[in-house]
Amino acid sequence: MGSASTISRQPEVDNTMSDPTSRPPLVLGQHDFATVTETVARIPERPGTTLAWKLSFAVAASLATMFVVLTGYLFVTGIGIWGNNSPVFWGFPIVNFVFWVGIGHAGTLISAILFLFRQHWRTSINRFAEAMTVFAVVCAGIFPAIHVGRVWYVYWLLPYPNPMGMWPNFRSPLLWDVFAVGTYMTVSVLFWYLGMIPDLATLRDRATRPLPRLLYGLFSLGWSGSARHWHRFEKAYLFLAALATPLVLSVHSVVSFDFAVSLIPGWHTTIFPPYFVAGAIFSGFAMVVTLMVPAREFFGLKDLVTLRHLDNMNKFILATSFMVGYAYLIEVFMAWYSGNKYELFTFINRALGPYAWAYWTMVICNVAIPQLFWFKKCRTTPWIMWIIAIFVNIGMWFERFVIIVTSLSRDFLPGSWALYKPTLIDFLMLIGSFGIFFTLFLLFCRYLPMVAMAEVKTVLPQAQVHHRHAAEEHAPSELEYAR
Amino acid sequence: MFKPYLPLWFDRARPIFGALLLFLPLYLLGVAWFAADPQTIDIGYSPAQPVPFSHALHAGELGLDCRYCHTTVEKAAHAAIPSTEICMNCHDRIAANSPKLALVRESYATGQPIPWVRVHDLPDFVYFDHSAHVNRGVSCVECHDRVDRMDRVYQAKTLRMGWCLECHRNPEQHLRPQDQITNLAWQAGSPEEQQRIGEELRRKNNIQPSTSCSTCHR
Amino acid sequence: MSRQGEPIADYNPRYWRTLDELANTPEFREWIAKEFPHGVDLEGLSRRRWLQLMAASFTLAGFAGCRWEKTEIVPFVHRPTGRIPGKPERFATAMDLSGEVTGLVATCVDGRPIKLEGNPVHPSSLGGTDAFAQAAVLQLYDPDRSRDVIARSDGQWVVRSWEDFTAALRERVAATSSGEGWVFVTGATSSPTVRRLRKLLEQRWPKAQWFTYEPLHDDFVRRGTREAFGVEARPVYRLNQAKVILALDADLFFESTGHVRAARDFAATRDGNPDRMSRLYAVETRWTLSGSSADHRLPLSPGEISAFVDALENCLATLAAGESLPDIGSSPDQSPEARYRAVFLKAVAEDLWQYRGRSVVAAGNWLGPEVHAAVARINKRLESLGGPVVYLPVSDPMTARTAESLHALHELLVSGSVQNILFADTNPVYSAPLAMKLNQLIERIPFSAHLGLYADETALSCRWHIPMAHFLEAWGDAETWDGTYTVVQPMIAPLWGGKSVIELLSLFLDANKNAQDWVYETFQARYPHSQAADWERCLAQGLFREENRQLNSLTELANTAKREIPGDAVERFVAGEKSTGNSVSVLLTADYSVYDGRFANNAWLQEWPDPVTRLTWGNAAVIGVETARGLDCKDGSVIRLEVSSATLDLPVVVVPGIPPRTVVVSLGYGRSAAGHVGGLVRENIPPVGVNTYALRSDASQFVFSGVKVTKLPRNQPLASVQDHHLIDRVGLQGRVERLGELVREVTLERLTDPHEPYSAEEVVHHPPLESLWPEHTYDGHRWGMAVDLSKCIGCGACVVACQAENNIPVVGPAQVMRSREMHWIRIDRYFTGTPENPRTVHQPVMCQQCEMAPCEQVCPVAATVHSHEGLNDMVYNRCIGTRYCANNCPYKVRRFNYFYYHKDLDNPRNEVQKMVYNPEVTIRSRGVMEKCTYCVQRIQNAKIEAKNQRRPLIDGEIQTACQQVCPAQAIVFGDLADPSSAVAQLHQSNRAYGMLAELNVKPRTKYLARVRNPHPALQAIEYREPAATHEHGA
Repeated sequence: MGSASTISRQPEVDNTMSDPTSRPPLVLGQHDFATVTETVARIPERPGTTLAWKLSFAVAASLATMFVVLTGYLFVTGIGIWGNNSPVFWGFPIVNFVFWVGIGHAGTLISAILFLFRQHWRTSINRFAEAMTVFAVVCAGIFPAIHVGRVWYVYWLLPYPNPMGMWPNFRSPLLWDVFAVGTYMTVSVLFWYLGMIPDLATLRDRATRPLPRLLYGLFSLGWSGSARHWHRFEKAYLFLAALATPLVLSVHSVVSFDFAVSLIPGWHTTIFPPYFVAGAIFSGFAMVVTLMVPAREFFGLKDLVTLRHLDNMNKFILATSFMVGYAYLIEVFMAWYSGNKYELFTFINRALGPYAWAYWTMVICNVAIPQLFWFKKCRTTPWIMWIIAIFVNIGMWFERFVIIVTSLSRDFLPGSWALYKPTLIDFLMLIGSFGIFFTLFLLFCRYLPMVAMAEVKTVLPQAQVHHRHAAEEHAPSELEYAR
Repeated sequence: MFKPYLPLWFDRARPIFGALLLFLPLYLLGVAWFAADPQTIDIGYSPAQPVPFSHALHAGELGLDCRYCHTTVEKAAHAAIPSTEICMNCHDRIAANSPKLALVRESYATGQPIPWVRVHDLPDFVYFDHSAHVNRGVSCVECHDRVDRMDRVYQAKTLRMGWCLECHRNPEQHLRPQDQITNLAWQAGSPEEQQRIGEELRRKNNIQPSTSCSTCHR
Repeated sequence: MSRQGEPIADYNPRYWRTLDELANTPEFREWIAKEFPHGVDLEGLSRRRWLQLMAASFTLAGFAGCRWEKTEIVPFVHRPTGRIPGKPERFATAMDLSGEVTGLVATCVDGRPIKLEGNPVHPSSLGGTDAFAQAAVLQLYDPDRSRDVIARSDGQWVVRSWEDFTAALRERVAATSSGEGWVFVTGATSSPTVRRLRKLLEQRWPKAQWFTYEPLHDDFVRRGTREAFGVEARPVYRLNQAKVILALDADLFFESTGHVRAARDFAATRDGNPDRMSRLYAVETRWTLSGSSADHRLPLSPGEISAFVDALENCLATLAAGESLPDIGSSPDQSPEARYRAVFLKAVAEDLWQYRGRSVVAAGNWLGPEVHAAVARINKRLESLGGPVVYLPVSDPMTARTAESLHALHELLVSGSVQNILFADTNPVYSAPLAMKLNQLIERIPFSAHLGLYADETALSCRWHIPMAHFLEAWGDAETWDGTYTVVQPMIAPLWGGKSVIELLSLFLDANKNAQDWVYETFQARYPHSQAADWERCLAQGLFREENRQLNSLTELANTAKREIPGDAVERFVAGEKSTGNSVSVLLTADYSVYDGRFANNAWLQEWPDPVTRLTWGNAAVIGVETARGLDCKDGSVIRLEVSSATLDLPVVVVPGIPPRTVVVSLGYGRSAAGHVGGLVRENIPPVGVNTYALRSDASQFVFSGVKVTKLPRNQPLASVQDHHLIDRVGLQGRVERLGELVREVTLERLTDPHEPYSAEEVVHHPPLESLWPEHTYDGHRWGMAVDLSKCIGCGACVVACQAENNIPVVGPAQVMRSREMHWIRIDRYFTGTPENPRTVHQPVMCQQCEMAPCEQVCPVAATVHSHEGLNDMVYNRCIGTRYCANNCPYKVRRFNYFYYHKDLDNPRNEVQKMVYNPEVTIRSRGVMEKCTYCVQRIQNAKIEAKNQRRPLIDGEIQTACQQVCPAQAIVFGDLADPSSAVAQLHQSNRAYGMLAELNVKPRTKYLARVRNPHPALQAIEYREPAATHEHGA
């Protein structure tokens, strides 16, 4: 493990060059299978936890607790404790919901689509992204559930035979949501877990203390690394990837239907599905960068998560930022072109009305600031890209705020207009949701393999067939097991 | 160096674990399902009444018409529980000093009402109207079953929305001639016969039971 | 009374924790004997609702189906003949609001009056009522009503009994034979019996002194008429005969005598029929209902109005002399404002004159006697006396709404000669000028008693307080302005053993006669030849019909009526009054919600928005746009008003159309002893609003000129239901652009243009509408509604009626500020025209029961779905509260229960309030959506009724609550499937349009475009400004 630590202590190597004669390495340092395992497995195997981890976990966990307590208060008192009013019947909770669902997009995209497109650079970040996806979707799932007025009847959203002879209304986008998000959640979890099995087995075999050994053992489902296992594993992984790919598009399209299907000016737009999906990927990648930059720093993963990885993600961010910007433009254009006075007013009102500040925050964070990624320096300097990514996260939250609040607060009849003022509890619950997210995430970093060791190994030069001896070194555990 | 972290039988038992994992939830679900079924929950409620009044005796053997006591059933939403006065119409002579009737006599004397216990109870957001049904060929028996055979009245039907809807969707099987409304024993010869009568009555009285929500919920 | 004599630190009403506790009071025995068995007769619907209300938390309703909630059915022992449990019964009665009578029909369920409707056969209402009558039931069940006879001995309030009081009284009565040192103070009343009792008592006690006191008095009117006719009189307007109406700050549909009827009569002339169509001019300082339904409105400061009247009188004199008016409005050096005034004056004068005999001039109560005298002369000159305008002599002192009496009373009290004083249904301590220090004077009197619904300010300075019986609890009678004898029947025995004024006075005469005897005596005395059957009919109909009764209307002016008018009156008016520094004139007005303060504890009225300011829960200084600019004020900034006698700090509401340098404030707020709603200082419940009576002095009652006004450096949020926040430029622009389509207006000229037929539908052009889903088809009824914007006067009675009918919760000011008010029907108020001189329009908006309802398509649990009769059903017990439906509702008429708004009912002291609920309507829990249902409970019950009787429904048999109450009959409900039905006819009208129909939601409620009847000359000026300036707050 000394070697690994020395490797990680070396200065950053820029592998973002594109030299036609040779493939740029996806893993730096003198890594072989053993050191890769070493670098990654070292983290969960570390006996004690670092002070930094303890502190951040304390903070995150207490925020999460606050969220739980507030939820209890909410159930007892009623959602009047939020700022929602008439006409703005949806406020922060739905904004947060859409925000988190968006975040939860990069995961599947990276793991599934990039996998299908044989983008090998994904291997060192996909685990990470998938985990983030799962946690984000967890946060997202909470809000729609608790935002209903009579949460104790929320199960009525599910179609099940009952003595009332009642079924849900399948015309309602909210119902589509239930299915879309539900499916997405399931598949993401499966995908994440399935991919993790070989690594869990590795941890199991390396484990020295009984408890980890037992747990890793249970969850690695008796993985023995036999050729048959590998065969099945890769099949299943491929199937899931194929299955998940359409979900990337479907989930956020469906979420966007919540708005697009309604007739409120500023919601009633056909551009919403692609616009939302682009935005989701945008925010998803931003969040990966936000988490990845510090993580690779603290956990010494610079060799596996190289600048090239970050560079690629930043390119994604830049591209999707353009799509989002285009959507903003086209929305305004269509409002004018449609000649619908209510639609047009909504956009004038967004840009110049009482919520103009939110609108322009959104535009600046989502369109202006990402332009910095034109400069290679910004794409390859961790602290810069980190700051930019933070801005994108903020911007994307405001995008949802603008869509929901500005449209509702001034719709058709001026007689019913009213502004929306969030309460303190609104803010606390927003923060609390971050608490939940980071709690889960810190646990992940501490106890699970952050990088898909098995997959990374496949992109090592040793993994190429002509490296004969490499084959023997490969997965010693498996050989022993066979004995 | 490597020693198995789990006993070997654990590996062998794996299929069983798998099976359990699969079927246990299904089993529990099934149990819950039947436990929560209206048939299980609703039917059979038969509280003790302050006065041991027997419908079997009055409506059955003596053959009193339901409307003799439940006077408002044709006029109002609610089929009024008889006032003490009505009991006393007969019982000031018949069984005039039966101990069972002590409470009735007391009530009559003091003017303190008799606290009957409700058997057939609908949720508070359900607006059921007796007159609307009784006047349109729906007999008491459809919901209250053979009260004339009950010593102590019990709930015989689920009275759940799904159950209401069955009849509202196709009433033919539940309609009878107006003069047979309170004749709980009445039956059409056969289901076909009933169907025929039902359709005829439905046409005659232009009965279109509504399944709109506001019919019962407001 | 168990707790007799036991001292209580400070007077607090005794609240029953359990029925048993109350059960050992005689009142309760009486009550339970008479009413309560039905009250808790847990049979049928009422039983369900009762249970529901009794439930500790409403969520129990959710479990009502669980296994098994043991509930009891408590039948009658002896059921009264004809009483069917759960079936509503209807009885005629009437409400007398300080002499103003409204004939009513009370709906009682199981012995509890739960809803009041206008009595259709009663001339005062013809079926409509105002908001006060609608809210009366809430007052009846107000837990804050005083419940015990209480007495103050050495500074402590002690619960006593009625017997104790009568004993004490007998003692005092025995002490005198002539009534020496006795003083009686009452409110104005039209009750013949009370008046008779007073006469009898006066005969017995010649030396006793009587005072009638009404803070909202019409002294100036009567003084003015004395000057004009030689006798005090009260003007009444029969607007259905009027062609041209000039309202000089006269609130025809709120303050004037017979206001409910007036609304009906006026509306009848507004349906766009050129023969009937009237033209209404309003010249006013504040915004009255007349002003907002006027064709032309000229805002003038209080001082200028009399100048206008002088000018008008001159003009009419000229016209009467056969000359035509000089061309006063066209000299180039005139300011546009002056020119407008000139043209306005000319138009009014010529119009009035042209239609003399069919023209009405009415003046507001606060205007000075000279104005009223002038108005009388003008009406005479216009040959309208006895026609559209009737002046009825005020014969009986008790029918006069007077405040002059207060002055005399004060002097009498100061003189110290008063030994005994009795206050009946009046609260002078609250409303009298502070300088009088009435409370101290009263406290000095050896024997003082107060009879009232509440232990109010006056009660607390007396030695005795007797709970008064609500008019729904007691026998009484009333007399409308046209002399119709109206009987007031009790609907329920006094909840707290209250006594009526009649019962109190009868103590002095014949204690063993009860109120009913007295009333019947009056009836017999009044109609000697009447039979018992007549009395029966009188009770059944609520009034006694007299054949060919003549109105003795005054028609001849007294010779004192001559008055010199300065020849240059016209020029002076046109020039306008000169600006006078930063001092303003303040006008105090009656309040639309609390009247003179007596309704301060009525939560329905408190939360009921003012028709023009849209303000709830309190009063504010209403100022015009210019004044606001001058003071640099916005909505909610606080200003200080200083007069010699007092200073007041008030929040500001900026309303266009209030003249410059003028502040309008309503009276009746700042009650210190109203109750838990309106303010109760002794329990640290701050008063709602500011007590503006504080400004009053002996000298001036309504108008205060030269008031110093300063802006304070603080703000106070206002509980307004519209323009929740000051509208910014973008908002204004957007509003102006769409207004013409939402609220469609048409001039009479355009409407009746033979060459180009008008169609309101065509105002908005849209592509052919195609539906995404297959549309509904109907074989039965298709309910629909039509709202005539031309008839709607914006009085808002429908809002309270809906609240009473549908158990709509009150949410309180904090929630209103959060824009969470629950009213199912709201009346949007829009301004058009310049900020200085705008026009208003009122638009009632309730659920439009869309055919292709957007709400139905998005509800995930199908809690809102279409009924087979086209209703947009809202199923509370299915709703889980995603609020998606409300988001998707283009009219934003859905209301959400953000909290459990009936929480206060869990408090034992509020038990009694549960009796107000309508058992036919579910009370909504926390977390569910609710909305207008077209009063589906009424529809269903009427249908069942008809089916049981084997007959078809008759058009008009079903009336929604808002339709039934509407004094102007602006709302019509019915079956669209029946082409002959009234509503189907209206939907065919060329004025009919569906609001936002271009969204293809296919609303079932159609609006009828508002018809305006502008004077050509004025139209040319008014209707010309650029749209952008059409708004206030800019």
